[in-house]
Amino acid sequence: MHLVPLVCYAAAAAAYLTHFAWRDPRVGRLATAILGGGVLAHTFLIGMQTVHVGHAPLVGTTAAISAFVWLLGLSYLYIELTTDERAMGVFVAPLMVVLDLIPALDPIASPRPPLLQSSLFTLHIVSMLLAYASFALACVLGVTYVLLFNEIKAKHLGFFYARLPSLQVLDGMNARVVSIGWLCLTIGIAVGGLWATQIQSSSDPRAQAMSIADPKILVALICWLVYAFALVARRAIGWSGRRAAWLSALAFVIVLLNFVPIGYFLTKSHNF
Amino acid sequence: MRLLAVGLSHRTASVELRESVDFGRAGLDRALHALAARGISPETVVLSTCNRAEVYALGDSDAAADAITRFFCDYHGLELARLSEHLYCHRGVDAARHLFRVAAGLDSLVVGEPQILGQVKSAYAAANDLHFTGTVTHRLFHAAFAVGKRVRNETGLAEGAVSVSYAAIELARKIFGGLSGLSVLILGAGEMAKLTGVHLRAQRVREITIASRTLASAETLARQLEGRAVPWHDLRAALAAADIVVTATGAAEPVLTRAAVDEAMRSRRNRPLFVIDIALPRDVEAAVGDLEQVFLYHMDDLQSIVSENLARRSTELASAEAIVSEEVTRFASWLQAREIVPTIVALRQRFESIRQAELQRLEPKLGGLTPEARAKVDEVTRLLVEKLLLTPTEQLKTVGDDSLVVVYAEALHRLFTLTPPANAVEKPADRDEPLAPGARRR
Repeated sequence: MHLVPLVCYAAAAAAYLTHFAWRDPRVGRLATAILGGGVLAHTFLIGMQTVHVGHAPLVGTTAAISAFVWLLGLSYLYIELTTDERAMGVFVAPLMVVLDLIPALDPIASPRPPLLQSSLFTLHIVSMLLAYASFALACVLGVTYVLLFNEIKAKHLGFFYARLPSLQVLDGMNARVVSIGWLCLTIGIAVGGLWATQIQSSSDPRAQAMSIADPKILVALICWLVYAFALVARRAIGWSGRRAAWLSALAFVIVLLNFVPIGYFLTKSHNF
Repeated sequence: MRLLAVGLSHRTASVELRESVDFGRAGLDRALHALAARGISPETVVLSTCNRAEVYALGDSDAAADAITRFFCDYHGLELARLSEHLYCHRGVDAARHLFRVAAGLDSLVVGEPQILGQVKSAYAAANDLHFTGTVTHRLFHAAFAVGKRVRNETGLAEGAVSVSYAAIELARKIFGGLSGLSVLILGAGEMAKLTGVHLRAQRVREITIASRTLASAETLARQLEGRAVPWHDLRAALAAADIVVTATGAAEPVLTRAAVDEAMRSRRNRPLFVIDIALPRDVEAAVGDLEQVFLYHMDDLQSIVSENLARRSTELASAEAIVSEEVTRFASWLQAREIVPTIVALRQRFESIRQAELQRLEPKLGGLTPEARAKVDEVTRLLVEKLLLTPTEQLKTVGDDSLVVVYAEALHRLFTLTPPANAVEKPADRDEPLAPGARRR
């Protein structure tokens, strides 16, 4: 059952790739349908886990990655259906496949320690994951912007020129998802901070490690600063277009580092 | 009844002649009625674009084609001698192939241009609204729409701009999304500047500003383009406000330097700027293109995009032609099955009537038989007729050449003194529809 979403995402990625290469609208619709099916199966899976363990499966990095992939799928589908633009799927779907490998192949539903039995915890996780999903989309939009920009700048109109939406659209969508992501990140960090002060009295070593010196928390704050800079720079010093695109692409690398390797190996506060 | 396509196009006639036989979009109804009044064909569609005027009809012989030719002359008041050498006439499957190529944009002046499919659709719609279409034209035109759609979806024939101005507009769309909110600055007030201005005006840009060394000529052009003229020394402000800059001055030295554009970009906070330099010698320093968020295209760049696109289109020709051939084969087998069906029906009726007559004649001798034996005789004779007709029927349905179909039908009618079955001639639609899939399966 854990493999069903992964298989769907992989099939959707293949279909998006075929659609991108050959631009057959039927394959495009098929890709969307498969991705939708995958997200639906994923929803069902998360629902089953919730029923099984009695709480939303958000405890531990593996569960968080699964929820992240699910949210990314949902938000991508939302963007696709509202803008009727399918070109981004070829970048988003493979990212979903790679990340979903972890929860699909090693599905452990961690029991929820007493420490995490707080609605603040759920709010913290959900806003952080929403922020990450938005940043993932911003990264994809940034990469595609740079690809298209380079083709137009080099006066060599080719593959991406024929397939991607206009620079203006990509830049506008990028600005929007970065704003949404930054807002969610702000909420997530604020709620996390508030909750950390509440559990300071706990004897759990992880609660004791909740400080700015912990890599996970430190890097999250760096992310917040980087995206805050991206937003301010866009308005104040005209960092739109290619600079904004590069920034959102690179900033997501930090997000990803914080999410996966730091989450698994380095943090002492977030290893549930 | 054979399919006919009579007309002329940019391939056979000059612009002047094409203009004089143009039915006009609004004149289609009148032309269709005029054709119907002549009683040439039960089904007629008139296709009229600026590059072609064609009549699609059904007719038995060359007389029908001649009648359509005469219609062209009479309707437009032209002499037959002037027109006849420019008219082509395609018959049967060739007419279908011609229409399919037209609908796919393969016969267009600019190969792959997308408007033609819409024009073919409205030509059919006009005829259909007035009930001048029938089973054959219905099938023919819907197959043509399918060809057009397939060629557009499955090949790159219609991709990429093939004129310099359209290439520039397409680029602007890829940079800005749409042109409607953009402001355009045109440097120069000459003929090229005017042409570009007219093109951009047609794209409904928000505002056109014209700057020229002589303010008076800028003002003249501004009036023509419903734009606004600014004096040359205000160029800096105009540059900062523009999204697209077109330069077409006759200056010997570059009028846009890197320093000037760099300064303008600062005040516009890196909003993208699309600079199109159509002047010779160049109006814009090449280094302007190095600036962040500035896209500089010279006439030569646009020209090379166009030639790349044209080259790409020509490589797609083969696959488009393959689609046309595939659909022609499919349509041809439908048409053939349809043409031969009345003959087959007549042949079967003839044989059946002979069988019935013989049974009638032998009735006195058969009278003594038991009902079972009587039924057996009926069964045996029926099977005999079926067996005799099986091979000829199959052979007739697989005749490859549509002119051969006519010959076979003619021969059979003579050999067996067939009379065309009334129901098969008048209402072929009832019969040929179920046959069509069988014909396609072969």
